[in-house]
Amino acid sequence: MTDAILQQPWFLWLTLIPLGAAILAFVLPRQAHLVGFATALILPFCALLAVRQGTLPHQLFLNAGGWDAPLGIALRNDGLALVMLAVTAGVGFIISCYATAYFSARRHKPDRPHYFWPLWLFLWGGCNALFISGDLFNLYVTLELVTLASVALIALEGGNKALNAALRYLFIGLIGSLAYLLGVAILYGTYATVDLGLLGDALTNTRLNHVAMALMVSGLILKSALFPMHFWLPQAHAMAPAPVSALLSALIVKTTFIVLLRLWFMVFPALDLVVTGQILGLLGSGAIIWGSLMALRQERLKLLIAYSTVAQIGYLFLVFPLARGDAAAAAWTGCVLLILAHACGKAAMFLVAGTIHHTAGHDRISQLAGAGGPVGVLVVVFALAAVTIIGLPPSGGFFAKWLLLSAALATGQWFYLLVILGGSLLSAAYIVRVLSWAFLDVKRSHYPVIPWVMKWPPLLLAVISLLFGLIAHQPLQLALIDAPVAGRVMLEISHAR
Amino acid sequence: MTGAQTLFDGLLVLLLVILAWVLLASKDLFRAIVLFISFGLLLALAWLRLKAPDIALAEAIIGAGITGALLLVGLGRLGSAVRCRPLPVRTTPLQRLSAPLLVGLLLPSIAAVVLVELFTLPIVASGQIKLVAAHLEHAGVDHPVTAVLLNFRGYDTFLEMGVLLLAVLSIWSLDRARHPFARDQIPAALLTLQRLLLPLLILVAGYILQRGAQGPGGAFQAGALLAAGIILAALCGHRLPPGHQGLLLRLALSCGFTTFLLAAAVTLARSGVPLLYPEHLAGSLILLIEIAATFSIAFLLAAAMAGGHPVPEAKPTAIDERKSA
Repeated sequence: MTDAILQQPWFLWLTLIPLGAAILAFVLPRQAHLVGFATALILPFCALLAVRQGTLPHQLFLNAGGWDAPLGIALRNDGLALVMLAVTAGVGFIISCYATAYFSARRHKPDRPHYFWPLWLFLWGGCNALFISGDLFNLYVTLELVTLASVALIALEGGNKALNAALRYLFIGLIGSLAYLLGVAILYGTYATVDLGLLGDALTNTRLNHVAMALMVSGLILKSALFPMHFWLPQAHAMAPAPVSALLSALIVKTTFIVLLRLWFMVFPALDLVVTGQILGLLGSGAIIWGSLMALRQERLKLLIAYSTVAQIGYLFLVFPLARGDAAAAAWTGCVLLILAHACGKAAMFLVAGTIHHTAGHDRISQLAGAGGPVGVLVVVFALAAVTIIGLPPSGGFFAKWLLLSAALATGQWFYLLVILGGSLLSAAYIVRVLSWAFLDVKRSHYPVIPWVMKWPPLLLAVISLLFGLIAHQPLQLALIDAPVAGRVMLEISHAR
Repeated sequence: MTGAQTLFDGLLVLLLVILAWVLLASKDLFRAIVLFISFGLLLALAWLRLKAPDIALAEAIIGAGITGALLLVGLGRLGSAVRCRPLPVRTTPLQRLSAPLLVGLLLPSIAAVVLVELFTLPIVASGQIKLVAAHLEHAGVDHPVTAVLLNFRGYDTFLEMGVLLLAVLSIWSLDRARHPFARDQIPAALLTLQRLLLPLLILVAGYILQRGAQGPGGAFQAGALLAAGIILAALCGHRLPPGHQGLLLRLALSCGFTTFLLAAAVTLARSGVPLLYPEHLAGSLILLIEIAATFSIAFLLAAAMAGGHPVPEAKPTAIDERKSA
C-alpha cells in the first residue's frame, strides 16, 4: 500500500488536485473556503512526497496519454519543477490561511470569497501545470490559465482603479501570449514538434530561429514585467486584495520567468545568445536601479512593495549574462534560490501591508508615524521579511545574491557586481524609510484588534525567509537535479557552518 | 491549381487585408463589429482553401459567430456611456507619442523582419501528419484532428476546458447578468425564427458532435451551435427556472471539465499515466468526454453571453436550459 502511494506521480497530482478543488469550490460556493483550506492543507504533503521522489532515482519524463514526445505531451519532473511546486505549496498554504481570515474580516462584500477560492485554486493548478510542462504549446495553455485567473483576482477588489489595473494586465498578458505563440508557430513550422527536449536537440543557429526566439522572449519579458515593460505591474499588484497581491508578487510573476528559463537553457542553447543575454542583463540592471529608486519615492506601502518586486525581477534576469561556462551552475542555483527567497519575503511583506491596511485603515507611509502598538509589531514583521529582500545573512536572499556575485566574479563581469551591490544598498534605503517613519514618536491612536490569523502567517513567512539561508543547500541540490547547466557551485559558505 | 483558383485566392487575401484595415479604422464600434463578423466568415473561407475544414468550421462558428455576438453584447452593455467621449486624463507628450510610435514604427518593423525571415520556412510543412496517421488505428477515432485533440494531445484540451470554465467564473466574479429584452419587447419575427431554427440547431449540433469521430466536427463546434440555440431562446424570453440557477447550472457549466478531470485522475491512479485510455475503451471514452464537453460548452458560451452571475429573483439569467436538453 505504502509502495503504491509512493509510486504515484505526485508532481502531477499537484496539478489535478487544485483543479478538482476549484470545480468543487465553484459548484458549492458556500463551502468554498472549506474546500480551499482543505486543499491548501493537502498540497504541501503532496509536494513533500513529490520532492522525496525527486531526490530518489526517478523517471524524468511522464508522457500524458502514454504517447511519446513528438506526438504527445511530455511532463517534466526535474529539479526546477520540484522546487517551484514545493515553494508554491508552502507559500500558497500560508497565504491561504491568511486569506480565510482576511475575507471573513471584511464582511461588506460577502460574495467575494465565493469567487476568491475557485479562482485561486484554478491559479494554483495552472501554476503547477506550468512548472511541470515540457511542451511549448502546453506551456501556452497553462500561461492562459494563469493570466486569466490573475486578471479576475486583481479585479476582485472592485472599483474603477482595480478594474483598470486588471484590464491593463489582461491586455499585456494577451499581447505577450500572442508574441509567444507566434514564435511557437515558427518553431513548429520548421521542426514539426513543440517538445522542449526535441527542439533543443534539433535547433540550429539560423536567422529564423533567432526571430522565433526574439518573439518568444519579448512576449515573456512583457508578461514578467522586466524593466522597461514593468509599467503595468505596480498598479496591478497594489490594487488587488492583500492575499492576491502576495500571490501575484510572490508566485505568479515567476511563472513566466520559469518558462523563459526553460526556453533559454533547454530550447535555445544552440543559438548564439551572448548579445541577447547581455541585453537582458542590462534590462535587469535597469530594473534593479529604477525599481528601487521608484520604491524610494512611493507614498503608499503597497506600491513601495510592488516597485520592490520590479527591482527583484531584475536580479532574476542577471542569470542570462552570468550563466556562462563554469559559472553556469552558480548563476542557475542563485537564480532559483532568489525565486524562493523572494517568494517568502515578498509574500510576508504584502500580507503585513494588508494587515496594516486593515488595522490602520490606510497604508500611507507618512501616516504610519508613531504607529507603535499593534502596528508596531507588524512593522517588525515587515522588517524581518525585508532582510531577505535586502540580502543580509543568514537569509535566503543573501545566499542567492552571493551565488550571483560569485558567478559575476568567475566570468569577470564586474559591471553586474556593482549593480547587485548597488541594488542591495538601495533596497536597504527604501526599507529603512518605512521603518524610520513607523518609529517616529507621534501621537498614538486607537486601533482595532487584529485577528490572530492575520498576524501569524506573515510572521511565519518572515521567519522562514530569514532563516532560509541555513537550509539553503537542500533547495540548491534539488534545483541541480537534471538541471540543464553544468559547473561548480561554490557552496563553501553553507558547508562551512 | 488553375488560374481561376489563383485569382480567387488573390482576391480573398486582398479582401481580408482591406476588411481588416477598414474595421480597425472604423470609429463606429457597431460597424466595426459587423465588419469583424464578416472578416471571420471570409477567414473561414481562407481556411477552407488551405484545406483545413476543421479550423474553418471553428473559425466560422466561434471566431465569427460567438465572438461577434460577445462583442455585440459587450457593446450593448457599454451603451451610451462611451459614445467615443475622450476621457479627461492629462497625458504627457511622451504618452501621446507612444501609440503612433508603437503602431507606426515598432509593429511594422517587427512584421517586416518576421515576414522576410518567414520565407526561409520549408514550403510544405507536413507537421506531424505522417506520425498521426501511423498511430491513428490505436486512437479510438478515425478523424486525425479529433484523435489529436482528444487523445494524442488530450492533456492540452483538458486544460483548455479549464480555461473556458475559468473564463465564465471570471465573468461571474465581475458583474451580474442582464437581459437583452424586456418580455413585452420581443420582436415577433424573432419568435417565428426561433420556432424554425431551434429544432434545426439541436439536430445539426448532434450531427456535428457525432460526425467528429470520422470527419470535421466535434465537441467545440457542436457546443457552440447549441449555445446559439440557448441564446436564441433567451432572446425570445425563455428563462432558466429560479430553482435551476444554483447548483444545477453550476454542475452543467462544469460537467465537461469534471469528466475530463475524472478521466485524467482515474487513469493516473490506475496506470500512473494521465489520460492513458485502454485501447478497446478509447472510442467510447472519447465519445463520453465529448458529449459532456458539448453540453458544458453550450452552457459556458451562453453564460459568457449573459455577462455575469445569475441573480436569483428579480432578474433571472438569460439562459434557458430547456432548449439544449
